[in-house]
Amino acid sequence: MYTLELKVNGQPYKVEVKATANLLEVLRDKLGITSPKVGCETGDCGTCSVILNGKLVKSCLVNALTAQGAEVLTLEGLGRPGALHPLQQAFHEHYAAQCGFCTPGMIMAAKALLDENPQPTKEDVKHYLSGNLCRCTGYVKIVDAVMAAAEEMRR
Amino acid sequence: MALNVVGQRVKRYDGLAHVAGETKFVDDVIVPGMLWTKVFRSPVSKGTIKNIDTSAAEKVAGVAAVITGKDVPNNRYGWGGDQYVLNDTAVRYKGEPIAAVAAVDEDTAAEAVSLIKVDIEEETPVFDPLEAMKPDAPLVRPEGNVFMYGDRPFRAIVLGDVEAGFKEADLIVEGDYLHPWLEHAQLEPQTSLAVPDASGRLTVYTVSQALYLHLQSLCSVLQMPMNKVHYIGGTVGGGFGSKNDMHADHIAAVLALKTGRPVKWRWTREEEMLYSTAKGSWHMHFKDGVKKDGRIIARHVRSIHDSGAYVSLNAYVVDKHSFLVAGPYFIPNVYVQGYAVFTNKPPASSMRGFGITPATFAGEVQMDRIAEAVGIDPWEIRFINAFREGEHTATRRVLDSVALIEVMQTLAKTAGVQLPDRLMAMSSTQRR
Amino acid sequence: MGETEFYKANSVKEACDLLAQFGERATLLAGGTDLMVLVNRRQLIPEVLVYIGECGLNYIREEETGLVIGAATPHVEIVRSELVQKKAPLLAKVISTIGSPAIQNQGTIGGNLGNASPAADSAVALLALGASLKLVAAGWERTVPAADFFVGPGKTVLKPGEIIQEIIIPEEAAEYKWAFRKIGKRRADVCPTVSAAVAVKTENGRCKAARIALGSVAPTPLLSKKAPEMLVGKTVDAALIADVAKAVAEETDPIDDVRATAWYRRRASEALVKELLSQVIG
Ligand SMILES: Cc1cc2nc3c(=O)[nH]c(=O)nc-3n(C[C@H](O)[C@H](O)[C@H](O)COP(=O)(O)OP(=O)(O)OC[C@H]3O[C@@H](n4cnc5c(N)ncnc54)[C@H](O)[C@@H]3O)c2cc1C
Ligand code: FES
Ligand code: FES
Repeated sequence: MYTLELKVNGQPYKVEVKATANLLEVLRDKLGITSPKVGCETGDCGTCSVILNGKLVKSCLVNALTAQGAEVLTLEGLGRPGALHPLQQAFHEHYAAQCGFCTPGMIMAAKALLDENPQPTKEDVKHYLSGNLCRCTGYVKIVDAVMAAAEEMRR
Repeated sequence: MALNVVGQRVKRYDGLAHVAGETKFVDDVIVPGMLWTKVFRSPVSKGTIKNIDTSAAEKVAGVAAVITGKDVPNNRYGWGGDQYVLNDTAVRYKGEPIAAVAAVDEDTAAEAVSLIKVDIEEETPVFDPLEAMKPDAPLVRPEGNVFMYGDRPFRAIVLGDVEAGFKEADLIVEGDYLHPWLEHAQLEPQTSLAVPDASGRLTVYTVSQALYLHLQSLCSVLQMPMNKVHYIGGTVGGGFGSKNDMHADHIAAVLALKTGRPVKWRWTREEEMLYSTAKGSWHMHFKDGVKKDGRIIARHVRSIHDSGAYVSLNAYVVDKHSFLVAGPYFIPNVYVQGYAVFTNKPPASSMRGFGITPATFAGEVQMDRIAEAVGIDPWEIRFINAFREGEHTATRRVLDSVALIEVMQTLAKTAGVQLPDRLMAMSSTQRR
Repeated sequence: MGETEFYKANSVKEACDLLAQFGERATLLAGGTDLMVLVNRRQLIPEVLVYIGECGLNYIREEETGLVIGAATPHVEIVRSELVQKKAPLLAKVISTIGSPAIQNQGTIGGNLGNASPAADSAVALLALGASLKLVAAGWERTVPAADFFVGPGKTVLKPGEIIQEIIIPEEAAEYKWAFRKIGKRRADVCPTVSAAVAVKTENGRCKAARIALGSVAPTPLLSKKAPEMLVGKTVDAALIADVAKAVAEETDPIDDVRATAWYRRRASEALVKELLSQVIG
């Protein structure tokens, strides 16, 4: 076991992890931060997406110990009911979630996009979310929600 | 009239929790002291189990329990009552669960599973339903490879006399259609968490799409009264029919009762792709008797559905397919033969429409073929045959509130297709 | 089964020393986008992980030998680098098709090569560009042409203790006209079914140099031997393009797998080469 120190959503944590552990299982099983989901653990679905040191990653493929000293942002840290981030608000208003299992990853990917590019086109959004699968909603409402949030944030 | 919902933008009742990351799916329920499950699955597609040796697995540090069929109070379950919770006699598909381990973590459980030794006498499997229907085919199940609807090997829908209809027809149009095996690929894998308590009650967090039916089934497996099982569900990370069959609750529950500790089982994506239920494949043959004016007067459909290894919902899937495969068209003479055929694959089951989508696919392509054969526009052929108010289906159900013609008119407008006035003037309420 | 050990190398020297110390027990870890898939699926339980993602191998610069890219440079930085876009636009284009934004942030070029998948996209580009790889170990270093690096699926000429340090793309690569295309089942996050890159240099209407590379059609990323023999010195017309495409397809040695049949791959190879050559020369 190795000691891993990292900050998640601004809060510092210190946990014991195996050298083979991925960041997703550490977040979920060790820290109880469950918005990033286990969809495949092979990098294919994107529902585990989080922002690691400012960059979008699929947390299932991040060896946890490589996140030593890192800052992680998950959906929990983006906004809470009552103080939602514009992306969360837009996903809600545009019905961009059905079962909701892909939603945390979708919103984090969208957040990473808007951090880099506050004025995306629809094509930019589609490209940036291309690593995130949704099986319920289809992508139209998701793309609409991201576009609406981008507009809201530029106001 | 003021409508509350139609035409309004509605938010999901649970949408706020979704966007805030607060929705608790089964895997998000984390209980202290929880054990993790891995399952030994049959490495072969067909064979007789001679011996199961779990002794080495039991000795692995961190393993709390290893179970096989004999640990399950009632080892049979499933919609047809023919599935094993843990097979201990004869396996019918590669990946069929034989033994299960609960251990402190997934790595330990996986290591223990790798030490389980199962001696299986391998037998010749059959994968192609057309092969499986032949008299000398290897038997997938002792009762035979074709599901019996009463004394018939197929679901029959009979209306009028198709042979007479074919004689009366100006031409015969035939078509063969295939529909592939499909995985639901819902984003949330099969997952279960079973939590026992000291008073003898068991709480099970489930991904079930059929909560009350599965509660009954679970209680039967556990041989427990319903008032002892608290079955918590309703939060499902996508189902599409994949969660109409119990995949994980029974095994997690038996392990929880055996160990007296909370037990979680989350399938890997690979297990999900390979071994969960799927939409079975279809071979569909259409033979239609058509008049020169475009009317279909006789339709014979022979559909063969690959049901995989167990009954599951397949008999029902073939039922619904057979009821509806004649399509939304008035055809006076119909004969449908729907076969549910067993093969050495994981059981097929429900998926988005229980066999109706393949029927619609085949039926609508067939309509285009008919249109081509009689030289009538594909839109018009559908208007000619569309159900009218008061007509009846192949199953003799008399229809009211019929609107297919109106739907097609609206569709044409929306799609910018200019239809002739005579079609746009038609109405479902006009008698033929 | 012992617990996996983890070491983070803080310099290339430290990485080499760790490899020397642990020998065959050590597995290099960069972005983890290939390795963690295996670890998560328990297909690989490494004894010792040596993490080289932050050991000073993240750089892109111009040297006398050409354009030099550190092995642990993530894809996204290669794609966005103005230097790469100027000196080796083919590489930027090819790498931009790898995975999706997250995979681009995580995966590295050295990992793509070290993993030695026959489908590795960057390998296809580097073969077409005539690149070479500098390998380093505790006590020696050597440079091998990319064309000699791959031996089989997952197999390379790397000796125990060696690391890919950097990738060198010759200065003259910028003079080539190029084209690339890959076929896959999804637009993103997909392991290509077939991919191809062509790089051609012409002078006075004649072909002066040509390289054609393909992915997923042989046990290693494939550099055509026939293509330069057939093209160099010739005025290239449609008939020659068709002949070359046919010859390249014959050089492939594809397999049937979940993504496609060998038959499809051979035909797609021919079609891709034809299309790309016509684009570049036509
Ligand atoms: C969803 C998804 C989509 C993908 N899409 C593509 C794609 O479109 N095209 C494509 O080509 N690949 C694709 N990949 C594969 C993978 O992302 C790339 O191969 C990536 O470049 C690997 O880099 P890494 O740093 O993550 O490697 P790691 O996983 O860290 O390492 C991979 C292997 O290389 C070895 N290694 C790493 N660095 C070195 C070094 N410097 N010297 C020697 N050996 C080394 C490691 O020991 C390991 O065996 C995809 C992967 C996923 C999960
Ligand atoms: S769980 Fe990480 S990509 Fe699917
Ligand atoms: S809302 Fe269910 S997977 Fe996207």
